[in-house]
Formats: sequence, C-alpha cells, structure tokens
Amino acid sequence: MQTLKRNILAVPILVWLGLFVGIPLVFVFVLSFLSRDSLGTIVFQFTWENWQRVFDPIYLRVFRNSLLLAFLTGLVTIVVGYPVAYITSNLEPKKRALSIGLIMLPFWISSLLRTYGWMILLGNAGIINNVLRALGIIDKPLPMMYKFGTTLVGTAYMLIPFAIVAIFNSVDKLDRSLLEASYDLGANKRQTFFNITLPLTLPGIAGGFTLVFIPALGLFYVSDLLGGGNTIFLGNMINTQVTRGRNRPLAAAFSIAMIAVVLLVISIYGRIAKDDAEGLFL
Amino acid sequence: MRMKTSRFGAFYLSLFFVILYLPVLGVILYSFNASPSTAQWTGFTLDWYRVLFEDRVIAASFRISMEVAVITSIVSAIIGTASAVVAMRATAGMKRAIQGVMILPLLIPEVALGIALLVFFNSLNLPFGHFTLVASHSLFCVPYVYIMVQLRLKEIDRSILESARDLGATRWQATKTIILPLVMPSIVTASLLALAMSLDDVIISTYMSGPKTTTLPVHIFSMMRVGVTPKVNALCTLILVGMFFVVGLSQLFTKKIHKEDM
Repeated sequence: MQTLKRNILAVPILVWLGLFVGIPLVFVFVLSFLSRDSLGTIVFQFTWENWQRVFDPIYLRVFRNSLLLAFLTGLVTIVVGYPVAYITSNLEPKKRALSIGLIMLPFWISSLLRTYGWMILLGNAGIINNVLRALGIIDKPLPMMYKFGTTLVGTAYMLIPFAIVAIFNSVDKLDRSLLEASYDLGANKRQTFFNITLPLTLPGIAGGFTLVFIPALGLFYVSDLLGGGNTIFLGNMINTQVTRGRNRPLAAAFSIAMIAVVLLVISIYGRIAKDDAEGLFL
Repeated sequence: MRMKTSRFGAFYLSLFFVILYLPVLGVILYSFNASPSTAQWTGFTLDWYRVLFEDRVIAASFRISMEVAVITSIVSAIIGTASAVVAMRATAGMKRAIQGVMILPLLIPEVALGIALLVFFNSLNLPFGHFTLVASHSLFCVPYVYIMVQLRLKEIDRSILESARDLGATRWQATKTIILPLVMPSIVTASLLALAMSLDDVIISTYMSGPKTTTLPVHIFSMMRVGVTPKVNALCTLILVGMFFVVGLSQLFTKKIHKEDM
C-alpha cells in the first residue's frame, strides 16, 4: 500500500511519454512494412519493399555517408574539445567560470544562426575569401562551400559544446593526487597523460562521443545549407522522402534503421563507460 | 593540485573561442552592411532591420513561435518539475523507470522522432498547429527540466523534509513550502532553456507545423536555403539579442534567489 502510494503519481508521467514517444515509434515501425499508392497515400498491405531498399547498394551509400559524418564529427569534437575541457578545468576560479560560460553560451544561440555563420565565412564572397583576396594570397575565390568537409565543419561546430561538457565533467572529477603520485614515481607529462589521465577520463570521452554522434546522424539543415545536397545523408534523405517524395513508408524504414544504429552506439558506450544510457545525462 | 596553464594552453583556448564566436560575429557584422552581398563592405546601414519589420510573414511566424515557446516552457516546467519530485519519492525501481523513459526522447535522432510524431498525429486526424507543436516540443524540453531540477533536488537536505513531516505537514505542504522554493532557480533556468530550445527547433517543427502555423525557424531555414541575404543576418541578430536578454534575466533571477538564501 505504501509502495503504491509512493508510485501512483509516476503513472501519468509514464503514460504521457508512452503516448507521445512509445506509440508513435510503434506506428513508424509498422509503417515501414506498409505500401503506398501512386499519390503517396498509405495502403494497408504488407511489403518488404521499403526494407529491401534500405539495404540496396545505392541507399547503403547514404548510410555510409551518414555513419562517416557522425563518426568523424565525434572524432573531431573529441580531439578539439578535449584540450578545451582539460585546460578549462585547470584554470584559476575566475577564468574557469568565464571559460565555462563561453563554452555553454552557444547552447543559447540559434543553431540556424550558427550554421548560417559558416555560409558567411566560407562562401565564395565570404569573409575568409575576402580577407585572403585583400591580402593578395589568392586571385580567384577558394571554393569552400558545398563539400563533405563543409558539412563536417558545420556539424562539429554545432555539437562540440556537448562533447566539451561531457569531457569536462569527467576531467574535473579526476583525482589529482593520482597525477602527483605518477610524477613522484618518475613518469613524465606524456606518460602520465596516456597512462592515467586518458584512461580515467575515457567514460567522459565515450559520453561526449555518443552525445555528438546521435544528433549528427540527423541534422539535415546543416548538410542542406553547407553541403548543398552534394553528399546525401540519412537526415536529408528521410526529410526529402517525407516533404517532397511523399514516400513515408520508406522514410519510416530509414528512421527505424537510424534508431537501430543509435542503440548500437549506446550499447558500445555502455561497455566503455560501464554505465547505461542514463549516465549520459544524469 | 592544479597545474599552471601553459602559454600554449592559454593560446589554444583563446583560439578556440575566437573560432567558436567568429561565425556569430560575422552574421552580426554583415547585418549592418549597406551592400546586399558579403563581397564588399559599402557602409553602415540599418535598412535591413527596417525591411525586416515590414515583413508580415516573418511577423506572423514570430508570433506563432513565441506562443508555442511560451506554452511549451510552462508545460515543460510543470511536467518536468513534477516528474523530478515524483521520482525522488518513488521506489528505486520506479525511479529508474521514470529516468529511462525521460531520456528516451533525447536518444532518438530528431528526424526519426519527428517522422514518428507526424505519422501518429496524422493517423489521429489531429490538425497540425499549436497543439502538435507544443506536444512535440515538450518531449525534448521536459527531459532537460527534469535533469536540472533533479540535480538540485539531490542537494536538498532530506532531514528538513523529515522534520516538516514530523511537525505535521502533509506531503503537499512540504512540497509547496520547502521543495518548490529551493528548486525555483533551477525551474526558472530550465524553463528559459526550454523556451530557447522551442524557439530554435527546426527539425521537429518542419513536420509539426500546419499550413498556417509555420514557425520562425522553419521560415528562416527556407530563407537561408535561397542563400545569403542581409535580411536573414538582421533577423538572426535580433533573435540573438532577444535570447541574450533572456539569459541575462535568468542570471539576475538566479543571483537574487541565491542572495535571499543567505
């Protein structure tokens, strides 16, 4: 009775999330096995066709592009973000607070603005080309937009605060007496970093990677604006199928496949960090 | 032991922040450029802001976005806080269940969640508009409120709650007079974050907007697809200023509460 009393209020919360997340996911799963007529209307007829197309070599390339982008985004944000987190955690209190503030501020800045900023910087008439031309380094504008790398830069830029925060939390918890012990025992900076700091902050790295990898799979507006559709990614593909192609069952199959990839990444994270998905946020 | 930051470290950090804010500064700077192209700087102007204020479509979508964001942040603050308080009191197993479902919307890529909701609402024949926008935005806002509030709840000394109960306070009274005031700064910050996230959402809103309820980010995205125009710069700059105003407000509020605490 006591237990019931303590738990009864949790029911509406579970129902609410079940209704708006659980049931819709079941709907998409079912939809991925349905057909459609020539107008795009869904027909209740079982088919494997959508799933066959997911594994079609042409679409597998879209998958490969997305996985590569998400993986490289994770890699870049960790490599660039790790030193930022590490240096920040060693700063004196005032500078440290400032640095943390500057790392968190982008969360409040419109993500479209942050993507658009790269169009302003990298475009043929953009700031970087203007500066290089003014300095006489180039005559013709350097083409930097609409490449795979442009999308990578934009995606990494968008998501790097997540990686830094995750790494920072784990670097900051690091017991510094272990580093001292390592130095006392004669290890140099490099050895200490690779043998103590890095292994102990691995959960933070894995967490940061996961938090970046998941959204990187689907940020279609970044690849649309910066990649210009030259490389097709999962997010763009799903979005196009829904908004223009009117092929919702195919989009549903791709969405389920995308979620499967996410689950795989989370289970790898669980192994490395010895934690479950909740550890990513709590 | 704190190691002294090396010169290289300080340089790296500064360079990082320059690159982090350069695109943002670029957008702001070119909103004042008289030339419609970024190719050259032809002088300072506020014309693009004037053009902006005359644009009816932008005004309409801004209004929709604000309405949705305000309702979303209130709804999220209530559900998120309630969930955190309920989870604190629930049994360990139930607490795990709540946390598990709570982070679910954060683990699903937004496109996939958006499609799922589109299919769901469509089959219910619900009209797309304010309701679908608020319902979907709450899904990714509530978890953040929950996370921030429960972090604060962890810090609360349980013995205060116990003494309140010993002194005859009901569960609700203890919640209202002790817990809520203590977590209020977190609730305020979290609901402002929810406001910001709702105002910023592109992906889910693409699928949740009705024909007459295009949100501002969805509209801006379609403008950006055409290319760079200073009007977009001006619009982005205004949103940035508005958002910083909100952040400043939340900082002030949090500080004030902290002072009252002491």
